[in-house]
Amino acid sequence: ALLCPIASPLNDEGKALMSIKASFSNVVNVLLDWDDVHNQDFCSWRGVFCYNASLSVLTLNLSNLNLGGEISPAIGDLRNLQYIDLQGNKLTGQIPDEIGNCASLVHLDLSDNLLFGDIPFSISKLKQLELLNLKNNQLTGPIPSTLTQIPNLKTLDLARNQITGEIPRLLYWNEVLQYLGLRGNSLTGTLSPDVCQLTGLWYFDVRGNNLTGTIPESIGNCTSFEILDISYNQITGEIPYNIGFLQVATLSLQGNRLTGQIPEVIGLMQALAVLDLSENELVGPIPPILGNLSYTGKLYLHGNKLTGPVPPELGNMSKLSYLQLNDNKLVGQIPSELGKLEQLFELNLANNELEGPIPPNISFCVALNQFNVHGNRLNGSIPLGLRNLDSLTYLNLSANSFKGRIPLELGHIINLDTLDLSRNNFSGPVPASIGDLEHLLTLNLSGNHLDGSLPAGFGNLRSILIIDMSMNNLSGSIPPEFGQLQNIFSLILNNNKLHGKIPDELTNCFSLATLNVSYNNLSGAVPLMRNFSRFLPDSFIGNPLLCGNWLGSICGPYMAK
Amino acid sequence: SGAVFERFGRSRRALGLGSSPPTCRSKCGMCLPCKPVHVPIHPGLSTPLEYYPEAWRCQCRKKLFMP
Repeated sequence: ALLCPIASPLNDEGKALMSIKASFSNVVNVLLDWDDVHNQDFCSWRGVFCYNASLSVLTLNLSNLNLGGEISPAIGDLRNLQYIDLQGNKLTGQIPDEIGNCASLVHLDLSDNLLFGDIPFSISKLKQLELLNLKNNQLTGPIPSTLTQIPNLKTLDLARNQITGEIPRLLYWNEVLQYLGLRGNSLTGTLSPDVCQLTGLWYFDVRGNNLTGTIPESIGNCTSFEILDISYNQITGEIPYNIGFLQVATLSLQGNRLTGQIPEVIGLMQALAVLDLSENELVGPIPPILGNLSYTGKLYLHGNKLTGPVPPELGNMSKLSYLQLNDNKLVGQIPSELGKLEQLFELNLANNELEGPIPPNISFCVALNQFNVHGNRLNGSIPLGLRNLDSLTYLNLSANSFKGRIPLELGHIINLDTLDLSRNNFSGPVPASIGDLEHLLTLNLSGNHLDGSLPAGFGNLRSILIIDMSMNNLSGSIPPEFGQLQNIFSLILNNNKLHGKIPDELTNCFSLATLNVSYNNLSGAVPLMRNFSRFLPDSFIGNPLLCGNWLGSICGPYMAK
Repeated sequence: SGAVFERFGRSRRALGLGSSPPTCRSKCGMCLPCKPVHVPIHPGLSTPLEYYPEAWRCQCRKKLFMP
């Protein structure tokens, strides 16, 4: 037997593949079988697929192999190639002009690499191309206007690059294009009315560019669009009435500079699954007709200048899971009709001018995970029904005028990670049951009129990071059990009536970085060990009987060691 | 991205102001029942708290079709 097979030389395509391998790096284990010495049947090499009974490469699929290096110009020698997938590698360098010689190419996916430079104009020579995916690279320069010369292009995804210039208007005169992904670039210019010439398009996404100008009046003609995302640009002007002709499931206009009112006609767009108008400069009321959107799951109107009440009709949006109306100028009461929203996951009404109590019906929102009414003028006491909200992880009632006792039942909402009742008028004792909230990360009860002592059971808050009980009337001593809190980094107890010693056990809280026990009636000596060496006198001032290392202390300052 | 779904029958056409979810009548070929569902469309990398855009698709068992 021959030790070495008689070498018939590789054909041109085989040589091209060897050149392609040569310009990659990190090939050692990945392209082991690309070996013209031991296996000349390149159609059997990893990721290479040929036409039956021919030696012409049809498909090159080397996705997600951690390949580095560059794409060789030799790729242009694979004349019958229909499918290239090199996504998810670490390829760098430019896309070679020679790729335009792969005249049969239908599918070109170079996404998720580190390619830079311009998109080569030669791509427009690929008359069979249906998919061009270059997203998540570092490509610069403009979108070549010659891309409009590709007659069958269905998917064009250039998202997350650094592409500049305007969107070529000619690109819009395409009845075949179905998917246009341009998010996360630096595109400028305006949205042309011609965009509605894309009569086959369902996905239009220019989120996160620098587009200016207004939404074209004729936007309603874009009736094939299912997703219209022009968020996070610098679009100005009003939302046109004609938007009501759209058939979209997602309308994302957030993060622009839109002015004027929310058009009532949006309430007729029942195909909407997601409506996001947040972070604009919209004024006027929330149209009650939005309550007609009975298939909408996400409604974001936060960060505008909306006035008037929260319409009770929103309670009819039975599929709603996210409702964010925070950071507006809404007035009136929280409508009890919101209690009908059985799928509601997040309700954010913070930073408005709402009054009155939390309606007890909120406890029927059994799916509620996050409830935030921070910074309103709400009053009354905490409805006991809140304890039924088993899924609640975030409860923020801070900076309102709530009063009464903190119900011990709050300790039964076992999944809470944040409980913020600060800056209200709560009185009475701190319920020991709060110590049962084993998942609690942040507990803020500061700025109330709470009295009684700190529950020793807080030592069981094994996840807790922040405890703030400052600005209350708490008395008694600091329980030594606080020394069990191994993750706590902030313990704020200033401006109360705490007395007794600072327990030495607190020096076991290794993570404690911020301690404030100032302005109490503490006495004895400040512990000197471990973490306590890092606390400045500010942590302790205003305790006349406390002995520590500061000027004016009853026993200080200490002598240098 | 750019997911391609089979399309049966003519695509929806706007009739006037407003919209409604697709009926999905005869949109799943021979497969029954054929019902409208929300489907998240993954636009590539996004920040952890960002939601995905959603589109309507017609679903029959585990298969999705264009409305």
